Amino acid sequence: MSSYSPRLSTANTYDNALRNLGSRQTSLANLQENLTSGKRVNRASDDPTAAAQAERSRTRIERIKADQRALEAQRNSISQAESTLGDVTDALQGIRELVVSAGNAVFTGAERLSVAEQISGLRDQIFALANRTDTNGLPLFSALGSALEPFVGPQAAPQDYTFKGLPGQTASSEVAISPALNGDAAFMHQPVRDGVYNVSVSTIPVDRQLTTDNIAVSNTALVSGSSYQIKFTAVGPGATPGTTTATYDILEMPPGADPAFPITGIVVPDYPSNKPVTIAVTGMPGLNLNITGTPAVDDTVTVEPKNSIFSVLDDAVRNISSATNNNAATQAVGQALHNIDIGMGRIAAARSQAGDLLNRADRISANQESRSIQLESNRTNAEDLDMIKGISDFQNQQTGYQAALQSYAQVQKLSLFNFIS
Amino acid sequence: MGILNIGTRALQANQIALETAGNNIANVNTKGYSRQSVVLQTVAGQFTGAGYIGKGVDVLTIQRNFSAFLTRQSTLAGSTQAADATRADNLKQLETIFSGGPSGLGAAISDMMNAFSDVASAPTDLTARTVVLTRVDETAARMRATSQSLDDLQQNVAQSLTQKAVAINDLAKNIAAVNNDISRTQGSGQSPNDLLDRRDQLVRDLNQYIQTSSINASDGTVGIFIGGSQALVLGSEASTVSIVTDDFGDPLKSKLAINRGGQIITLDDSSLAGGEVTGLMRFVNNDMAEGRNLLGRLTLAVSTAMNNQHQLGLDLDGNVGGNIFSPITFGSQNIFQPSSPARVNSGDATLSLAVKDPGRFAASDYEVTFSSATSGTIIRRSDGTVTNFPQSPAPAAPIFATVDGLDFSNPTGTANPGDRFLVKPFSSAANNITSVFSTPRSLAVASPVAGYMATKNTGSLQQVSLSARNNPPTAVPVTLTFTGPNSYTRSDELPTADTTVFAYTPGQAIEATYPDLPPTDPLTYSQPLQDWTVTLQGSPQAGDSYTVQANTYSKLNAGNATAMMALRDKALFDGSALTDGYASLISQIGIRAQSANYAADVSATIAANVEKDRTGVSGVNLDEEAAKLLQFQQAYQASAKMMQIAQSVFQTLMQQLGG
Repeated sequence: MSSYSPRLSTANTYDNALRNLGSRQTSLANLQENLTSGKRVNRASDDPTAAAQAERSRTRIERIKADQRALEAQRNSISQAESTLGDVTDALQGIRELVVSAGNAVFTGAERLSVAEQISGLRDQIFALANRTDTNGLPLFSALGSALEPFVGPQAAPQDYTFKGLPGQTASSEVAISPALNGDAAFMHQPVRDGVYNVSVSTIPVDRQLTTDNIAVSNTALVSGSSYQIKFTAVGPGATPGTTTATYDILEMPPGADPAFPITGIVVPDYPSNKPVTIAVTGMPGLNLNITGTPAVDDTVTVEPKNSIFSVLDDAVRNISSATNNNAATQAVGQALHNIDIGMGRIAAARSQAGDLLNRADRISANQESRSIQLESNRTNAEDLDMIKGISDFQNQQTGYQAALQSYAQVQKLSLFNFIS
Repeated sequence: MGILNIGTRALQANQIALETAGNNIANVNTKGYSRQSVVLQTVAGQFTGAGYIGKGVDVLTIQRNFSAFLTRQSTLAGSTQAADATRADNLKQLETIFSGGPSGLGAAISDMMNAFSDVASAPTDLTARTVVLTRVDETAARMRATSQSLDDLQQNVAQSLTQKAVAINDLAKNIAAVNNDISRTQGSGQSPNDLLDRRDQLVRDLNQYIQTSSINASDGTVGIFIGGSQALVLGSEASTVSIVTDDFGDPLKSKLAINRGGQIITLDDSSLAGGEVTGLMRFVNNDMAEGRNLLGRLTLAVSTAMNNQHQLGLDLDGNVGGNIFSPITFGSQNIFQPSSPARVNSGDATLSLAVKDPGRFAASDYEVTFSSATSGTIIRRSDGTVTNFPQSPAPAAPIFATVDGLDFSNPTGTANPGDRFLVKPFSSAANNITSVFSTPRSLAVASPVAGYMATKNTGSLQQVSLSARNNPPTAVPVTLTFTGPNSYTRSDELPTADTTVFAYTPGQAIEATYPDLPPTDPLTYSQPLQDWTVTLQGSPQAGDSYTVQANTYSKLNAGNATAMMALRDKALFDGSALTDGYASLISQIGIRAQSANYAADVSATIAANVEKDRTGVSGVNLDEEAAKLLQFQQAYQASAKMMQIAQSVFQTLMQQLGG
């Protein structure tokens, strides 16, 4: 038997040839579509996994864009807060210099008044800075949330300035930083943490001196935040000639919070009458104070906690402007300098936190950018066409299509009928 | 004169052979034509003393060259190809509806979620708020547009199904008529080649629409059956088919029904094997249904999650937030009861449906079957998963079962055993979704709860996130007082505050839910989370505290905008995040389209090959016919020559005799 050779139907041969040509044309057209669109995946069915991957990458890229924009807004707020804190520091520095100048012993009351007015101007500036808002109208120092003006005051006792907000700090995430600083920590003071007390002395005649040093916190656990008044109840000759002894009471202001008060009749050990005495007052819980000078009966020393930098500045203005003599001025200047320094410390701490946040923003930004590039390359790998491969495939297909057309035309010319004459 | 007779017969036979070849050539491109060939036979010889003298040639019959097997194979392969190609064509359109990229629905959703970022940066900025509203509106519009495109496609398919049913009926009628003609020619003893060709072609045409099986009857007719065993044509009688809805009267489902003598029988999809009608039904009942369910689930999950979160916020005027999207309500378009001719429910139970947890949705329809008034099964149609009820622990009446984040309840009436319901939660969810409000002030981006840290705190505590689960929160304020870097007590502890020491892990959520109650939720088997949740980080010192309270500074707060953005990562679609939902949707449809394309390619190749084999037997080859023409022309000429010789022999004889 001869080898198997099936019959071919002429019509079916045409049909098959046409179908093959058609499918070649379709794949050529598909390749051309790929080339012109630059995409390997034009429809999800071309490669469902890649299509989903590309779609996810696109979503993530868009998300990074949104996150980056939000981060930019946060960075703006924080950098504005940072420069605001710089302005506050400059103003405090100015105040500090003015306060020092007010301590000049030859200054008259009028001169001190003028200094106090300058301080008052700077204090207003600082208060305005603390309530500054960012470009979107949000307070820079709103902590975990606050009123539009987070700092209000001065107002009636018991607290002159308050932070109208929620103290605390928002954590930064891997894509965002805190949009606001903790204004409470920057501008408000805590008796326990900061030990900011203003100590004032009742008016002392010019022939005497009675001043104090600054409050020192000896035991934070005992500090209650109350105000105290130290009142000399008796000053008289000591046991030996040439010495003097004094007796004072410590009162809590306003009385009642601590049942241990008032403590009365604390006796100062005998001291030489001709020299100023230094009395170490240890009766206030957790606080130490040294009173230096020559006390007399009814001299009072008032110790008040100051809960904000603004209160400290108000005290400075009030005590310097109202100082009737050098004794009062010295006392006011000493207290103001000490307390302003503590306040500047708080602000410096907040400022360094702002700097830290800005650094973090830079890192996040760089990270996000490289992630974005990575995602873009994921997307490209998933759905874009490798042009070189695309062009080479296209040319292969084109050559094949051409060969198919030519051979089809030639084969179809062959027929036995051509030879029947 | 034997030779004259032989010559005449030969001339006739060869002429018929030439005519047959000519007929073959003439019909070379005729659809369904089977090549014919002449069967010649010698005429029985005349017995003489010298043996049998041949009497020439005769045409026995005109043979129709065909192979019943190959014809059948080719018809079936063509039928399968028609089904696959139709399904692939329609899936291509479905795929276009769910396109990806920046113009797709996925991009709209992602843009909408990202728009909250600007509001979070500037809660008082009305422009940013307006952008969010526009994006919400845009997303709703795209959902509706996608749903509309699906409806258009569905209508298109339904129309062509009806047209194809008409075509099937016409073809069946024609086959019955040809059957009749063929049976009448039975007596002739010769095969009616052209009628047979015609019938085979009609059967092939019919199989383009619906795959059939045929059984030959003794009278030459052929019985045509569809759906396995339903007779479409028997002898000269044809039944009719029509397109009907399913047992539940679901307008989105199409079934083929056959009308046999007034009795309408609905055919099961799985019994239909090939043909365009089958391809369209597979498309509309499976692919399209899944597309609709996926879109519906996307719509329902996104809109519900966003509405729920938005209601946990406060707007610019301090009011509790409302809905962002029109809330989806389940009604008669979602719950179906069997309708005649199917067995209708005998009980009077009604069903209702509610969303329990959008994160657990499965894109599927459900069939509820009662075996008693309170028990039965719920079948998830997409994969056939069966849930029995009553469940343990049982949800609160009238809910009788909670499946895939949906509460099935039976508010009125009592079900009888065997009562069935079809529940379609998603198929129409995207039809009417809209954004429901237009003033930017009422966008609720502020959180109703806020936290603060005691000013005397000395540790490095920071707030990572605080979000509400209840609006307005009820059990606040609550103060967490830290007793060390890794422990805290709570002010809401009962009966005495701050007695139990809880462990604190930085970065881990602390929930309002306290004290722990026994589980009541059959889904989570734990107490549902209440009121608020807070995440802190950093290392607190003993004595530090953190307090959760109602938000008194809501105007500048954007806590709820942040929570809305956090929805981007919420696991909603079989565990994948909200923003990835659309990507998996397009890949699911893409996979269907890809496999349909592949099936269409394969069945086209098979059909082409089988057809090639069939035409190898039945088709006309022009070269062959040309050769036959030459062959029979020669034979014809030779026969004519034979006649000439006979004549000259005769003449010679006459001359001799006459001479």
